Amino acid sequence: MNILVCIKQVPDDSVEVHLNAEGKPDLKNITPVVNAFDTYALEMAARLKESSEGEITVVCMGDASAKNSLKNCLAVGADYAFLINDAAFEDSDTRGITHVLKNAAKKIEADTDKKFDLIFCGKEATDAALGQVGPMLAEELGVGVITNLIDIQLDTDKVTAKQETEEGYRTVESKIPCVVTVSKPEYDPRYPTIKNKMAARKKPIGNITMSDMTNIKAEKVGKENTLVNAIKLYEPPKKEAGVKIQEETDEDSALKAVAMMAEAKVF
Amino acid sequence: MADCKDIMVYVETAEGNPVKVALEMLSPAKELADAKGGKVIAVVIGNNIHDAAQKIAQAGADQVLMIDAPEYEKYNMDVYADVLANLMKEISPEVLFIGGTQDGKDLAPILSSKFEAGCASDVMNIKIDDTGKIVFTCPLYGGTILEDIEITSFPKIAVLRSGAFPKLEDSTTGEIIEKQVSISNDCIHANIVETVKEIAESVNLEEAEVIVSGGRGMGNKDDFKMVEDLSNLLGGVVGATRPAIEEGWISKIHQVGQSGKIVAPKLYIACGISGATQHISGIMNSDYIVAINKDEDAPIFEVANVGIVGDVKKVLPIMIEEIKKIKEAQ
Ligand SMILES: Cc1cc2nc3c(=O)[nH]c(=O)nc-3n(C[C@H](O)[C@H](O)[C@H](O)COP(=O)(O)OP(=O)(O)OC[C@H]3O[C@@H](n4cnc5c(N)ncnc54)[C@H](O)[C@@H]3O)c2cc1C
Repeated sequence: MNILVCIKQVPDDSVEVHLNAEGKPDLKNITPVVNAFDTYALEMAARLKESSEGEITVVCMGDASAKNSLKNCLAVGADYAFLINDAAFEDSDTRGITHVLKNAAKKIEADTDKKFDLIFCGKEATDAALGQVGPMLAEELGVGVITNLIDIQLDTDKVTAKQETEEGYRTVESKIPCVVTVSKPEYDPRYPTIKNKMAARKKPIGNITMSDMTNIKAEKVGKENTLVNAIKLYEPPKKEAGVKIQEETDEDSALKAVAMMAEAKVF
Repeated sequence: MADCKDIMVYVETAEGNPVKVALEMLSPAKELADAKGGKVIAVVIGNNIHDAAQKIAQAGADQVLMIDAPEYEKYNMDVYADVLANLMKEISPEVLFIGGTQDGKDLAPILSSKFEAGCASDVMNIKIDDTGKIVFTCPLYGGTILEDIEITSFPKIAVLRSGAFPKLEDSTTGEIIEKQVSISNDCIHANIVETVKEIAESVNLEEAEVIVSGGRGMGNKDDFKMVEDLSNLLGGVVGATRPAIEEGWISKIHQVGQSGKIVAPKLYIACGISGATQHISGIMNSDYIVAINKDEDAPIFEVANVGIVGDVKKVLPIMIEEIKKIKEAQ
């Protein structure tokens, strides 16, 4: 089983992002982390690898700082890691991103002379939450996609996946190769052991640039070639905070609150 | 081609009825079509879907294309995407609207890739600016920042958030056109072999007037019942944060927030909820928010009309008793 996992580095999603004085998202003091859903994807891939056999390659499109995220992946189950980095890719939209990812996958396949059987993505990134990359990548590659996985099973020529739905789940089968996107399974991603962390630090991280990919189309990538353009960023209007009640006892607070709610006729 | 001004709306159905967001999408679709001088063309796919098509025709679509055949009885992403792609080629709409349901969120990027069409996700608002440009508003970073975007391609695809647009009030009746679309079997990569419903109850958070939600601060499953008691008393629907669901106190269908339901009740009561962005962004359209939290600095208080600083396990029983009294006196 040859598995590719696509990850994105995002600002730590437990910290609220606001605009700075220049009107840009203020990410200065927020730690970059691997997108939560990508860590679930990697964990699912790692379990799959352990239950049969195979190798996991992780790719990340991003700047040099994303190497750290890739190192973290190497410590929790990935065997190989590549940073896809080129000034020409900056500010690409999802069409550009999936075009680059596809070509990077093809390049790795050609270099290793091994096709990927499964491509894992998170179901969405926690920053923009578009959820587009997985399905678009599948369409680009001309293969199937199953989204929102919470479990996966492998047979010789197909995967059987548990797709999370609002009311329960669906069992979906797809031919291999295919793309899968991962939601939050019942388990949590593993923590790296000290030993794995040390080993990961020594592993190389490959670099893939524009010129490494023979079939890439320059007119699909970068800021100049987006189909979706930002016009402006702003913060949603704030709701005004009302009253805060903190009486001597919780009972008094509760009674006061109910009185106010009754007065406001909300029930 | 680029002078085609029609707005195509994909209508998803569930148990033979159009899903809620499908009806909601008709109002911005109508607005755009009117501004551009085009038509609203709705598409319904399924088997025996005449009733659904009728409902859409009466809800504001100028035309309803009904793709009604036994092979469409069961949803298959590849097949539905292929049908929609065929229709898009034929109609060549300027914009395709897709409802932000789980399946809608899959179909949109597939079609986006097929047509090299720019795609806006989780659209909360749509306007036309002075130059006639369509501007879509989408959330970033769990909704702390909003982004206005334009799509430069033809066609454009937009996935509309459920609950963000009001249904059309009074509308004209459009015509239903039955259509045959032939699809090739080799488009099928994946198949749904089983659908399991683990939740029997129907939970309608999006249309609830009262929602009582519980978070991690409820402590355990037994105490979470107090949230349900208060909700029952107020004739409301129970909501929950993601941690409360992960703890197994209540099922996922009750999740409120960025990755759950976006709600707009008259009254929202948050019990033991810290007020993380991903939760708050789902409750901002509530008219009146009451929050109970023992931490006086909890961010939930920044959006609450009434905040109670206290132990939710002590506050809730008293609130329940007191509200009961008031109700009985009415
Ligand atoms: C990509 C992504 C998507 C997400 N989507 C969602 C979503 O859709 N919905 C969602 O809710 N979350 C979502 N989250 C999670 C979110 O970030 C928060 O972790 C979550 O909302 C916190 O839930 P909580 O308030 O119940 O728990 P906590 O943040 O742990 O807060 C518990 C609160 O209870 C209070 N408390 C404890 N004991 C008591 C007591 N006895 N009396 C009174 N108060 C008490 C504490 O003071 C605290 O404020 C998402 C996260 C990510 C990364």
